[in-house]
Amino acid sequence: MLLLLVPFCVWVIAFLILPAVGMLISSFQNEGGQGFTLGQYSKALTHPLYKTAILNSVMLSLVSSVIAIVIAVIGAYSFTTFSSKVRDRMLNISNVMTNFAGIPLAFAFMVLYGTNGMFTLLFKKLGLSFLTFDLYSWTGLGMVYIYFQIPLAILLIYPAMYAIKTEWKEASSLLGANSFQFWFRIGVPVILPGIVGTFSVLFANAMGAYATAYALVLRNFNLLPIQIGGLVSGDVFPRIELGSAMAIILFVILMIAMLINEKMLKLARKGY
Amino acid sequence: MSFVHIQNVTKVYNKNKVLDQVSLSISEGEFITLLGPSGCGKSTLLRAISGLNDITEGSITVGGKDITNLPPKKRNVGMVFQSYALFPNMTAFDNIAFGLKMDGLSKKEIEPMVNEMLDIIDLKGKENRYPSQLSGGQQQRVALARALVKKPTVLLLDEPLSALDAKIRRSLRTQIRLIQKRLNMTTIFVTHDQEEALTISDRIFVMNHGTVEQVGTPLEIYTSPKTEYVAKFIGNYNVWSRDQLKGIPMNGVPSQGEMFAVRPEAIQLVSTEQAGHIGEYTADGTITMATILGNVMRFDVDVAGLNIRVDMLNEHGIGRLNTGSRVKLVIPSIEWKNIQKSD
Ligand SMILES: Nc1ncnc2c1ncn2[C@@H]1O[C@H](COP(=O)(O)OP(=O)(O)O)[C@@H](O)[C@H]1O
Ligand SMILES: [Mg+2]
Repeated sequence: MLLLLVPFCVWVIAFLILPAVGMLISSFQNEGGQGFTLGQYSKALTHPLYKTAILNSVMLSLVSSVIAIVIAVIGAYSFTTFSSKVRDRMLNISNVMTNFAGIPLAFAFMVLYGTNGMFTLLFKKLGLSFLTFDLYSWTGLGMVYIYFQIPLAILLIYPAMYAIKTEWKEASSLLGANSFQFWFRIGVPVILPGIVGTFSVLFANAMGAYATAYALVLRNFNLLPIQIGGLVSGDVFPRIELGSAMAIILFVILMIAMLINEKMLKLARKGY
Repeated sequence: MSFVHIQNVTKVYNKNKVLDQVSLSISEGEFITLLGPSGCGKSTLLRAISGLNDITEGSITVGGKDITNLPPKKRNVGMVFQSYALFPNMTAFDNIAFGLKMDGLSKKEIEPMVNEMLDIIDLKGKENRYPSQLSGGQQQRVALARALVKKPTVLLLDEPLSALDAKIRRSLRTQIRLIQKRLNMTTIFVTHDQEEALTISDRIFVMNHGTVEQVGTPLEIYTSPKTEYVAKFIGNYNVWSRDQLKGIPMNGVPSQGEMFAVRPEAIQLVSTEQAGHIGEYTADGTITMATILGNVMRFDVDVAGLNIRVDMLNEHGIGRLNTGSRVKLVIPSIEWKNIQKSD
């Protein structure tokens, strides 16, 4: 039986552990791959280009996650009020949409909302220019991120939402609470752990998203994954060590996000 | 003087009459039970009283006030659910305090009221536990306190004991009854368990397919079922139609009536060897099965193809009665209950 684990272990070692260790070592080396230095980290954290990339990524991830969560909570709640047939269909759609990300998604947005996109032109023709936006701006990129975050958020929040029992609502209404009081005192507190957990997944999802931003080539968004990609693939010449340091920083940010999430979960679950 | 007055209540779900012209009157402080099998409309009636369901027709009055069209929060009825329905994010204390908080009472007013309830349900010292840290019986007591603390005009209990195991169920039902008497709380209790209904109620309303089939005290319902349905549901009655009795060699079958019910414990059984001559007896038979129910022995006796169920106290000497024993049966004439055929 243990023998069956061998392929798995080999795979994990060869493609997860070894590269990670290599990256960690390389992040402490001089350019060219020798010696020991903290220089790569200090450059990553102080050089305006790289520092901004980190901040941009964190901001974009936070904002898109928050907006997606608010929309998803309302959406997931409305799912629970549908008939089971409609509900299953909506969940299936969310499931498919979750996988619609990266380059295809970016291209879809370009076709629809790009400078000569279908909707951009249509809205302009109809005199609804206020509905158009510049896809290649931060707002545009934010829209695309929110778009791919929403279905994932719905899928993650829905089970928590479904755990809210009708009897709680009924009991609270018999005890004199209105709908707002129910949500404020029972509904939201009960799903809070689910929301917090979802938030950290969304944040990680956005922090690591590479292809979507990369595909919107009309503008070079200064984001952490894009910088790492550039440093490692090296259009001019690769700087593996700096890239590694940036990657480790990304890793650390995700770890911190997860730890905060864990703490919040404990707080939110306090007692029950 | 009736305190809760339900008049001709009808509820239709997609053309399906779940309640059909139900009327019932309950006095103040009375404990009544709606008894019937699953799906007969007990919960629907209870939810109509609480306002969680609307009704298609009819009216509901509590304490002289017509509440038919009031929203749940305006009715001041308390309700306890089978699933407890405690708020999982609140401690026992906060669960009980919830309704008072919603009424805008201050912390200072709330605390003594909640403490009094904790005392009544015997959960002092556990008020800071969350529902998940309490046993099923404890959770249900908290749910009871949460409903009672608001001093509702009527307390509605929808199968509150069904999720608990047998021992807790029995002790909690006694406790509920004691609390109800102490607070003189008008109570409507729903159950599908006849034993529970018989032990706990002032009066029982036996329900069948959205109608009330018979109303009476536990003793009346148990000893004098009016219909085949009630007789079969309430106990282990022998229920026979006149057709079934045709040609069976039995003395004392009443000359009137089409359908009869006889309580199994009202029948006397004597082994033929022991009996010698016992005078007037009803029939000769053979025991086909003997089952121990604890303090009671249950015998299935065959009389010319008719099965008769007999319960006897598990006394010394009963061991002589065994599968295959020849016996004489005595059914006192007043134990033949004339009942109506149910469809
Ligand atoms: N919301 C509903 N929609 C349609 N039918 C319902 C609904 N609630 C209950 N019913 C039907 O009404 C009947 C009585 O249900 P209920 O009052 O819950 O029975 P009980 O509590 O006696 O088991 C059942 O046949 C049930 O299927
Ligand atoms: Mg029910």
